[in-house]
Amino acid sequence: MSTSGSAAEPVIEIRNLTKVYRDFWGRRKVRAVNSLSLDVKKGEVFGLLGPNGSGKTTTIKMLLGLLFPTEGEISILGRPATDVAKNERIGYLPEESYLYRFLTAEETLDFYGRLFDMPASVRKERTEKLLSLVKITHARKRQLKEYSKGMTRRIGLAQALINDPDLVLLDEPTSGLDPLGNRDMKDLILQLKEQGKTVLMCSHLLADVQDVCDRIAILYGGELKVLGRVDELLKSRDETQILTSKLSDDAINEVRAVLQKHGASLNQIDHPTSNLEDLFLKTVQESVERPGHRVIMDDTTRSRGA
Amino acid sequence: MNRLSSQQRKFAYLAGILVLLVPIILLGMPSDGRPGSGGYLAQLRSEYDLGESDLGQVDPSSASMNLVLLGLRGVAANLLWMDLEYYKDRKDWAQMRATTESIIRLQPHYAKVWEYNGWNLAFNTSAEWDAVPDRYYWVKEGGKFLARGVERNNDATNLYYHAGRIHQQKVGQSDEKKYFREYYFADPDPKFGGTNDPEFNTDNIDNFLMGKKWFYAANDSELRRKQNIQDRTIFRSSPARAQFDYAAARQEDGKFDDETREAWAEALSDWTVKYGQEVFTIPWDNGQVDIRMEMTPEEIRQATTSEADAAKLARAVDAYQKMTNYRYWRTRGLSEAEQVTSDAHREFYLAGEEYKQQNLNAALKLVSSSMEKFEQVLKKYPELRDEDRMVEECMLAVMLFENIHRLNGERLPDEFPLKDLADEKGGLREQIEDQFKRRFLAG
Amino acid sequence: MDFEPTPYNIPLGFLYWLIVTGFGTIVVLVVTLLALLITRGTKGFGDFLNLLSSAALDIVQISPRRVGAITRLTFLEAIRRRALLVFVVFAILFMFAGWFLSGGTLVPDFQVKLYVSFVLRAIAWLVLPVALLLSCWGIPEDIKQRSLHTVVTKPVRRLEVVLGRMLGFGLINTLVLLVMAVAGYVWLQQQIDEKARPELTCRRPVFGQLTFLDREGKPAATGINVGDIWEYRSYIEGATRARAIWKFAGIDESALNKDGELILENRFSAFRSHKGQMGRSLLYQLVFVNPETGLRVGTQLRQVAEFRGRTDAIPRTLPKAGEAIGGKITEEAGETVDLINDLVSPSGELVVEAVCIDPGQYMGMARPDLFIRTPDGSFLAGYAKSILGLAMMVLLIVFLGVAASTFLKGPVATLLTFCLVLVGMTAREFMMTIVSGRFEGGGPIESVYRIVLHMNPTQELPTGIAFQSMHLMDLAIRQFVWLIFQIIPNFDYFNMAPYLANGFDVSFNASVLPSIAVTLAFFLPCLLLGYFCLRVRELEAK
Repeated sequence: MSTSGSAAEPVIEIRNLTKVYRDFWGRRKVRAVNSLSLDVKKGEVFGLLGPNGSGKTTTIKMLLGLLFPTEGEISILGRPATDVAKNERIGYLPEESYLYRFLTAEETLDFYGRLFDMPASVRKERTEKLLSLVKITHARKRQLKEYSKGMTRRIGLAQALINDPDLVLLDEPTSGLDPLGNRDMKDLILQLKEQGKTVLMCSHLLADVQDVCDRIAILYGGELKVLGRVDELLKSRDETQILTSKLSDDAINEVRAVLQKHGASLNQIDHPTSNLEDLFLKTVQESVERPGHRVIMDDTTRSRGA
Repeated sequence: MNRLSSQQRKFAYLAGILVLLVPIILLGMPSDGRPGSGGYLAQLRSEYDLGESDLGQVDPSSASMNLVLLGLRGVAANLLWMDLEYYKDRKDWAQMRATTESIIRLQPHYAKVWEYNGWNLAFNTSAEWDAVPDRYYWVKEGGKFLARGVERNNDATNLYYHAGRIHQQKVGQSDEKKYFREYYFADPDPKFGGTNDPEFNTDNIDNFLMGKKWFYAANDSELRRKQNIQDRTIFRSSPARAQFDYAAARQEDGKFDDETREAWAEALSDWTVKYGQEVFTIPWDNGQVDIRMEMTPEEIRQATTSEADAAKLARAVDAYQKMTNYRYWRTRGLSEAEQVTSDAHREFYLAGEEYKQQNLNAALKLVSSSMEKFEQVLKKYPELRDEDRMVEECMLAVMLFENIHRLNGERLPDEFPLKDLADEKGGLREQIEDQFKRRFLAG
Repeated sequence: MDFEPTPYNIPLGFLYWLIVTGFGTIVVLVVTLLALLITRGTKGFGDFLNLLSSAALDIVQISPRRVGAITRLTFLEAIRRRALLVFVVFAILFMFAGWFLSGGTLVPDFQVKLYVSFVLRAIAWLVLPVALLLSCWGIPEDIKQRSLHTVVTKPVRRLEVVLGRMLGFGLINTLVLLVMAVAGYVWLQQQIDEKARPELTCRRPVFGQLTFLDREGKPAATGINVGDIWEYRSYIEGATRARAIWKFAGIDESALNKDGELILENRFSAFRSHKGQMGRSLLYQLVFVNPETGLRVGTQLRQVAEFRGRTDAIPRTLPKAGEAIGGKITEEAGETVDLINDLVSPSGELVVEAVCIDPGQYMGMARPDLFIRTPDGSFLAGYAKSILGLAMMVLLIVFLGVAASTFLKGPVATLLTFCLVLVGMTAREFMMTIVSGRFEGGGPIESVYRIVLHMNPTQELPTGIAFQSMHLMDLAIRQFVWLIFQIIPNFDYFNMAPYLANGFDVSFNASVLPSIAVTLAFFLPCLLLGYFCLRVRELEAK
């Protein structure tokens, strides 16, 4: 079923992760993530999907040690989430680029380079490389407060890659980018994958995810609803879709007869529009109708609980 | 509210703001200077003379201080007053002086603040210093301070009076008066080059005359705004009293020239004409009545309708005359205007000078002559027998007389002028002894 | 100088520091352990150990480059954002300082005193808000803007973040302080009259030990009180056997100036019980006594220069004059003594007695009121020391502010730090009286009881369990205040204006050293507290 996934070692292991936000008095307010378990394997591009408030960002923040789990375990690159040493091999692009707006692009990259304890020469080299990679060499001397949103995203990505990380966490990587920038970003993610890096991205822009992700998980209300390879998830198990060239009515009748012979019925003849968006909407709708239902098309992650 | 569109809501807010503005404008609109202009508060302010510019010169720095403190002026002033007391206790005069300045920046129109601090500088701080020039420096500080207070508060009658007191009383009548009166013309601070400090002795005149000037200003101001220091009748006598002090001080300095005599004459006229003819309104039955200190029985009769009322008014005038010591000062003025009194003073003064030069015979002759003349004066003006200064001088003369006899190894004659007075006031001897020593025995 | 500089006891201070810091650390650790045990059960204990070991690791693995990066960032942030505005305020304040100081008419030594303390106070109060706002808002703002997210997802230890912030804010504030100091110095040089210039100096006094003899000539610890509220000076009566006796140690020829004179400066004060001679100040005589041979040599009579101080140059060769009796000095004709050889004991001791000459009058003195004035230091050096003191203060405020901002939001952290500073500057004396229990009306609860019942403080309280427990509670409150008292820094040490304004060099032992010690003492606890708080909190702005 999976070609590369099952054999590879997991880079991120999440077990039974739960996060409850409490109010000032310690009363439970929101259960943002509920018993989430999943693995991200080395070398894959993994997409975390879900509507706003589904717990994607909370999960990422727990992975990075910005938030502490209420329950459950996280292992990231073989270390606990609160261990700072893991950050050596991680690159993180936050939801909006939370950078220092009074620094120039150059200074920004240099600053984050210093945080990796890189010597000056390495910093300089990486800075040059990344500036041209994200195509903002022309604006290198300008303070970030003068940047457009797209440019800020680019410099954000550049800082995430300053340490040549093994694992890249991207929170809404394409938000705020124009179609051209969007394309660039996706290319870049695929490029990263080619370099053997693991990428975990979360997004609600489904087309992006569909284009670049190997596997996805869909979260709703803090719970895992769908997990699996993108191509398989989009394959419906009790439906077969046949895509042909334009058929005449006779031909259709013939097909219908053949199907009848095999005990199947022709439900719909349609132009195929099925894509991740359908899956997503379906999942969301189902979650409302059938709480607790879960589709796991993945043999590497044992799913526990309802 | 939901039914209104956003634009309608905005108009509603605007209308609300305008409605609220109306009372604010009515209350708070500033005055353009004409009477009756401006909002209600501005009118009240001008009615009660509370506007900054109504009070006197406006100090831009204190106005801006108030702005900077954002309404915390009271708190700041409170802290500063605590500082002031602390520095005073710690005898940190530099900081205390600076704190005084800060306080009046915050409370520039609070007359009591000026009064307290002026007093504190001229009296308390001055007394803490040992060297007389230093003391004088602080007396000046107090005097200048009060003068500034008057500039800021033109109607603060009390301040004029207290400023006058520093020149008249602190400079002229304190223990250090001998030095202070000298310094008044020749400041010990080398920066004045042996002349007066033009900020303190502004007119380069005697301190008592300066005091008199301040007291006149106080009297002028008193017509506009009441003082609350003492009864009006006493308060308004202060310029004339300062003139008396001036004349007496000239004698004490050994100046017996025409100027001194003129000073006495002026004192007498200040007292009996300027002050004596001044009209005071006193309570009378259920109403009021006007009196003058210098009221003849005839005038009293004219002012009343019945014999009984006339007698009653006469008693009232008499009571006020007693309270202000009116008749005594009139007598003093009359007596001092006479040649014999002037001679008595002069001869006694010269006797002292001879005595200090060890010319005992000359001294004895002079002092005997002066005693005779004092006796004549006392006979003519018996009220003077109860006047401290006169009694003091007579007693000093007697003691000088006795002392010369003792030094000459002679017996005191059984009878000599002023003997009855000396016997009568024997109880004062011990007190006057000190003064005698200081005046005649110390270098 | 109207105070006694007390040398700082470094070992004792260190001991106190160890006790308080150790105690604080233990409290924090115990509370953390309990909190973890309660929230996470037995697993909490393991987490606690993990926390400890990772903390140890963080401390060991501090990287100067990372700390430097945060420091640099902080510095750039301040420069590029807002801190410079304060210079404008400072400039305006100096421009209008004339309003607040009525300088022209002041006697010269007043001018120096006022201006120097004004400049130092102005600098302190102007740099205070900068330090407060910068240090208290930095980290909360960083959290709020989520820019800290990007930082802590790099391999930066939170210890390094706190340390870097502290250093960065410290650096920028020191810079602001330095600029102000230079402006203040220039202003001083311009404002002070030519005549007053000589008072801009740094006396280097050698103080002695002071004892007294009472009017009968019996030794006494102090003189008499003439009714001053301020009990700093005590007085000796004139024309009696009362003496103020200073013992100077380690005196040899090096104490003389280049003309071979011993410069003795005094700040005696005068108190008259009667007018006496108005024309001159009170007279005093200094009598030199050789503590070994008992040789006594008196100087000429001199007049007290109250509140100004006067300098007496004592020539090395003195006429062998005796003590004044009845205001006259007996002199042995032609005979002289040598100040160093005849009057200083072989062990280097010199005894100087001060005598008040005028009968019935009093002369007041405290220990620092008579000293040997060795050659003065330059004013600039003393000024620099005062600025160093302010720098230490600013650093301390930064440490406190940064530590507070790791667990509080900006405004609250600012308030907390400001309160600490204000209490440390003004209320220590008051707290001291509470801690000592030496005040009328008992502890807080007792006081409330007395106030409500309109009870006189001297009135005895009834006995009974209720009152015993009341006293116990008051005692507990007192102990609590003691603890707070120990934690609140003593800002007095940073204020070196009293030295400089009075024309004295800043004492190293009594002022410079303790100011550095206090700041250092707070550095480590603040750093660890900040690290701990940042470590255990979630960085999500809510």
